Amino acid sequence: MSTDLSTPVAPAPEPDPTPSGIAPERGTWALSWHGVRTVAVLDLRQRVRSTRWMAALVVWFVVVGAVTWLTWVATDAAFGSSRDYGSTSSQVGPTIAGPAGPTVFGLIVFFVLFLGLLVSPTLSATAINGDRNAGTLATLQVTLLTPAEIAVGKLGASWVAALAFLVVSVPFLILALTAGGTPVLSVVVCLLVLALLLAVVCAIGLGFSALTARTSGSAVLTYVTVAGLSVISPMVFGLTVPAITTAEPVRVWNVPADFDWYAGEPPTCELTTQSMTRTHTERTWWLLAVNPFVIVADAAPGARSGTSGSGFDVLGGIRELVRDARTGPPTEINYCEGRFGTGGADSPVAQREPDRSVVWPWGLAVNLLLGAAGLATAVRRLTIPQRTLPRGTRVA
Amino acid sequence: MPNTPDDDTSAADPSLPAAVPSGGLSREPAAGVGGTLGGGLDSGLGAGLTATLGQGSGLTAQGVHRSFGSVRALAGVDLEAHAGAVTALVGPNGSGKTTLLLIFAGLLVPDAGQVRVGGVDPVTHHQAARARTGWMPDVFGTWDSLTAREVLLTFAAAYRLTRERAEARTTELLETVHLTEFADLPASVLSRGQKQRLGLARALVHDPDVLLLDEPASGLDPRSRVDLRILLRLLASQGKTVLVSSHVLTELDEMADDAIFLSGGRTVPAGTVATAQAAPRTWRLRALSLAALVGWLTTVGATWLPDDERDPAARGTGPGDPPDGPGGVLLQVDGEAGAATLLRDAVAAGVPITSLAPVGGALEQAYLALEEERR
Ligand SMILES: Nc1ncnc2c1ncn2[C@@H]1O[C@H](COP(=O)(O)OP(=O)(O)OP(=O)(O)O)[C@@H](O)[C@H]1O
Ligand SMILES: [Mg+2]
Repeated sequence: MSTDLSTPVAPAPEPDPTPSGIAPERGTWALSWHGVRTVAVLDLRQRVRSTRWMAALVVWFVVVGAVTWLTWVATDAAFGSSRDYGSTSSQVGPTIAGPAGPTVFGLIVFFVLFLGLLVSPTLSATAINGDRNAGTLATLQVTLLTPAEIAVGKLGASWVAALAFLVVSVPFLILALTAGGTPVLSVVVCLLVLALLLAVVCAIGLGFSALTARTSGSAVLTYVTVAGLSVISPMVFGLTVPAITTAEPVRVWNVPADFDWYAGEPPTCELTTQSMTRTHTERTWWLLAVNPFVIVADAAPGARSGTSGSGFDVLGGIRELVRDARTGPPTEINYCEGRFGTGGADSPVAQREPDRSVVWPWGLAVNLLLGAAGLATAVRRLTIPQRTLPRGTRVA
Repeated sequence: MPNTPDDDTSAADPSLPAAVPSGGLSREPAAGVGGTLGGGLDSGLGAGLTATLGQGSGLTAQGVHRSFGSVRALAGVDLEAHAGAVTALVGPNGSGKTTLLLIFAGLLVPDAGQVRVGGVDPVTHHQAARARTGWMPDVFGTWDSLTAREVLLTFAAAYRLTRERAEARTTELLETVHLTEFADLPASVLSRGQKQRLGLARALVHDPDVLLLDEPASGLDPRSRVDLRILLRLLASQGKTVLVSSHVLTELDEMADDAIFLSGGRTVPAGTVATAQAAPRTWRLRALSLAALVGWLTTVGATWLPDDERDPAARGTGPGDPPDGPGGVLLQVDGEAGAATLLRDAVAAGVPITSLAPVGGALEQAYLALEEERR
C-alpha cells in the first residue's frame, strides 16, 4: 500500500489494468440458459405465490367453458331449428355438425385470444418498473446476470404464465373439434399462433415497463398498443374506405342494355366501359393483416376446404375477407359468366382468380418485430452502468 | 479532473491514508494493512488478491462528478479506501453518499473522473468489477413471497455459484446474520432490521473483495449493530475493502479505520478534517468529589462548565457550597496532548479523578466542526 501511495496517483487516464485471471466480459446481449432460468424462476415463483394464481386459472376455465357452452347452444338453435338463416342453408345437411363445428371452434379461438390479449399485459407490463419501485431491480442488475438474461428471463416468466391460460383452454378447443368440420391441425396451428401472439404482447409490455417509471403508465401503454393492433386497426381500415374509394372506368362484359329479351335469341355479350365506384382495399389491407384475430384466422387451416360446410366458418370468413381485401377490386368484370351459355368461353375478360396466398406471415412478422422492439428496449434500459436515468427515478 | 489537492498529504504520510489523521480514528496505520492481509490470505481469497494488490486493490475515486439534470450530486470526489480496512463515508443528507456508492457498484456512469474497484474500472470492465463487489442499498427491497433462503439462493445463482456452494454459503450466511430460524419464512414478514440483515447477507453471497454498504445499521437493534461491527471488522481483517456510509457517527467511530467526509458532493480535504480534529474539543472530566475537582480547577484558573445534563447534583455549584459527591465538569481541551497534561496535573494535585473522555466521538466532533450545511 505505502509503495503504491509514494507515487502520487496520476490523474491522467492510464491504460486500464486488465485484471488477470478474470473471465472475459460477457456483453449486454450475452445469454445463458442458467441466467435466464434464474430470473424466470424468480419471477414465476414470486408471481405464483403472490397472486391468486389458481383462482385466476379457475375463473378463466369457467369463463371459457361458459362461452363454449353458449356458442354451442346458440349455433345449435340457429342451425338446428330455423333453416332460413345463413347463406349456406341450402347446402346444410340434416345434422348441425357441418356448420356449427367451425363456428364454435372459431368463436372459442377468438374468445381465448381476446382474453389472452386482456391478461398478458398485466403479466409483463409491470415486470421491470415494478421491480424498480420495489427496490429489487438494482440488486439483480449488479449481479453477474447480463441485461439480456434479465429481460429474457422476465419475458419467459410472463410468457409461461400466459401459456398456462392457453393450456387451460385446450379442452374446449378439443370439444369444439368433436362438433366436426374442423381439421385437427387447426387446433395445433391456432395454439401455436396464439402462443406467439401472446409472447408478442408480453414483450411489448416488458418494453413499456422498462420505459416508464410508473406501473400504471406501462400497463396503459401496453393496452393501448394491443387495442391499436386488434381494435383500432380494423376501425382505421373502415374509416379509410372513403379515401380509397374512387369512380373509375371499368371494362364490363355484359348483355347490351338494349337487348330485346323477348326476341327469343340467346343474348350475345359485349364489352363496354362503365364508370363504377371502386374501393382499393389493396392499399390498406395491411391494416387488417396486423390484427391478431386476422392472423389467427388466416393461419388456421381451412375448415374442410372445398366442401360446403365451411360457409359459417368464422375463421374462414375472415380469411376470405382479408384476402379479398388484399386482391382489391377487379378492373374488368364479366357479368355474362355462368348466366348464359355463351358467357364464359368467348369472353375477352380474363378469368380473374382472387389472390389466395396467405396473409398471416406478414401480420405475424410485424407483430414479432414489435415484440422484438419491446425486448430490445428492455435490454437497453437494463444495461448498467447507466448514463441517464428516467426522469424522477432513483437507482436506489 | 485534476482535482486532487490532498493526495500529496496522504502520499507524504502513509499512515494517514484518506482523511482523519488523529489518534482515536486511524486505528490501524497503513502498515497494518499489509499485516492484516498476510493473516487473511489463507482464508480463501488468496492468490487473486495478491495479484491485484500491486496495482491497487481497494477503492479509488479521482475527480468524480455526477449530475442528475441540474442537480450536481457529486462535484469532485477523490478518495481512497484501502483493502483490509473499514472506511466510513460520512456526510449530511444529500451530500452524494448514495450516488458515490452507486458509481462504485457499477450502476451509474460518472460524468467525469475515474473510479477503480479492486483495480478494475466498473465502467469498462463492469462484469469483472461486479464479480468482486458486494453492494447493499440503503433500502433493501425484497420479493415479498420468496423466503429468506430462496432470496440468497437466487442471488447465489445470479452470481454463478455452483448449487452445492450456494447451499453451503446460504446456510452459513443465514447463521452469520442470525436469520436461521426465519430462513423459510417469506421475506415480506421479516421486520425492518431482519430485512436489513438479509440485505447484508445478500451482499456477501459471492464473497466479494469489496463491500459497499449504504447505511447498513439503520433499523438494527443494538445487539445487531454490535454484530455488524464485529462482522465488518472480521471481513476487513480478511483483507476486504469495506466502505460504509452511515449517519450514526459513534457507531462508525468504533468500527472505522478511516473516514471520508462528503459535503455538497465534494470530499472534504484531509487538511480541513485535520484542522477540525486538532481544534479544541470538549472533554468531560469526572471525579469522586466534585468539590475537590472544582476547587482545584479554580486554583489553576481553568474555565469549565457544569456538566448539567448528566449530573443534576452539580447544578448547585458556583458561589455557594456545592454539596459534595461524585460529579463532573466539561472542559475545552487542546487535543489529546492537552488531555494528558490535564490528567497528570489533576492526579498530581490529589483530585480523585474517575474519568476523562471527549464528549461525543471523534467523528462527530470533526463532523460538527466542519460546519456542514444540510441540504
Ligand atoms: N436520480 C436522481 N435524480 C435527481 N436527483 C438525484 C437523483 N439521485 C440523487 N439525486 C440528488 O443528488 C443529491 C445526492 O443524493 P444522494 O442520494 O447521493 O445523497 P445521500 O448522501 O445518500 O443522502 P442521505 O444521507 O439522505 O442518504 C441529492 O441532492 C439528490 O436529490
Ligand atoms: Mg443515501
